[in-house]
Amino acid sequence: MVPGVLNPRAGRTADAVPAGTPVTTAAGSVVVEGVSKLYASTDGEPSWALLNVSLDIRPGEFLCAIGPSGCGKTTLLNMIAGFTAPTRGSVLFDGRPIAGPGPDQGVVFQEYALFPWLTAQRNVEFGLQMRGVAKAERRERARASLDMVGLLGAADRYPFELSGGMRQRVAVARALVNHPRILLMDEPFAAVDALTRVTLQTELLRIWQEIGLTVFFITHNIEEAVFLGDRIVVMASRPGRIQRIVENPLPRPRDRGEGAFGALYAEVNEAFLRQGS
Amino acid sequence: MEARLTAPPIPAAADAALTEDEKLEIENRFRRDIAAGRRRRLRRGLLLNLVGVLIFLAVWEALPRLVPGVNTQMFPPPSGVVMTLVGMMTDGSLAAHAWSSLKRVAAGFVIGSTAGILVGLLTGRLAMAQSLSDPVLHGLRSIPAIAFVPLAIVWFGLGETPKVALISWGTFFPVWISTFIGVRDVPKLYVQSALSLGASPLNIMFRVVLPAALPFVFAGLRHATAVAFVIVVAAELVGASSGLGYLISFSHLVFRIDMMFVGLLALGALGFLADAAFAALLQRVFPWYRSERNG
Repeated sequence: MVPGVLNPRAGRTADAVPAGTPVTTAAGSVVVEGVSKLYASTDGEPSWALLNVSLDIRPGEFLCAIGPSGCGKTTLLNMIAGFTAPTRGSVLFDGRPIAGPGPDQGVVFQEYALFPWLTAQRNVEFGLQMRGVAKAERRERARASLDMVGLLGAADRYPFELSGGMRQRVAVARALVNHPRILLMDEPFAAVDALTRVTLQTELLRIWQEIGLTVFFITHNIEEAVFLGDRIVVMASRPGRIQRIVENPLPRPRDRGEGAFGALYAEVNEAFLRQGS
Repeated sequence: MEARLTAPPIPAAADAALTEDEKLEIENRFRRDIAAGRRRRLRRGLLLNLVGVLIFLAVWEALPRLVPGVNTQMFPPPSGVVMTLVGMMTDGSLAAHAWSSLKRVAAGFVIGSTAGILVGLLTGRLAMAQSLSDPVLHGLRSIPAIAFVPLAIVWFGLGETPKVALISWGTFFPVWISTFIGVRDVPKLYVQSALSLGASPLNIMFRVVLPAALPFVFAGLRHATAVAFVIVVAAELVGASSGLGYLISFSHLVFRIDMMFVGLLALGALGFLADAAFAALLQRVFPWYRSERNG
């Protein structure tokens, strides 16, 4: 395989990117094909977390996945992240099988996964440090990333000194500083209060539009999915599968009070309720 | 100044809003009261601490004199112990003994706890290493370390080696156990985060798993300091020519119970200081720890 032909980013090293420059790229596509995953449930019985799931995530797309617990949405995210491998089927990331987790697939976790022993700045620097980026550049890029999420002022604080919303902003900055081609988010705003959540959603959209990366966003909140997603994957459980994929044609910025928003909400809600029947 | 000590000025009418100045005044008074209350409680606590110590010393001083049949030679009162203590401090013999013991404790502690941390990391991360080492390590751990004193003398003679080896041996186990538990219970999210940020297995071990487990490691180290003092005394009671354990054993031979008491006091003081140093270090090294745990 000739490097750079299939993967437009293959020739570029992390060091060639000037500090703080958002990377605009068309890469970041995921092809999930006929994927099934068997798990041992708590009583020891095998159960299908996912069964025959196929899904295309388009480059630059904001894709939301929604479903009840046990529908396999987190399993799907973990596969794209490289934490688990499918029992059957394949997951391709920009045309290649996923070898394992890495900075190309940025992950923002459900709970606060920041390292409590590092300040916000050092948390954001962590990924760069792991790849041997020089100290001065590391600091500059971390500060640019914190600035993007509006937390430059809190750079020297420890996670315990930050509110829930601020922590998740740091988590986003920590993933973005590595210039991932896809950002995987597992109910990232579930633990923050409703008002903060709305702010975080708007900010996330702004960053997504600025950088132009692919986002795969798991939520259990229909309104959040309709507000954020280009498409909404509605999943069902036992076995975990895709119930329906809803296109979201609403222009941005979206208005929650609009009639079209409510109509789409109802459509997703109906797909959500119909599962299992 | 005088006006501030009286009750806050009552607004003219019940519904009159507080002015900025009044608000500031009330806030300042409130702040001062809190600070004063805190100082008062602290002073009271320290005073009671002191009273407790004085009562203890008074009972000790009185006991050998009041209880019939108690010999002050056998049970020297604090006044007698202090005389001996001052004598041994001025001629430098106490410092020399304390220094020998402290050197052995430090050397053994460093060797034993380093090994304990490394083995703890390994057994906590790798299921194979755990299964492989579990029966042997737990078996050895069950043997009280001071039971090895005679063996250490047979193997290593009477010099520094047997003492340091015994202390290393004894401190290894508590550090290993607590590191193992800390490492085993590191939240999976931290490891997954690091993986997705591009960390290598070695980096995950030393930059994520170890810091995440550090509070546990520290608890083990703190326990290990106490163990180290127990073992150094046991090792010095036989086959030593210096150290606080030797001082106690020697006092026994020459029947100087007052000197024995000085040795005991010195051991208590060293142990206490070592533990206090640890607690202080904990605060400095982990500013994030306590709050993280409480929520």
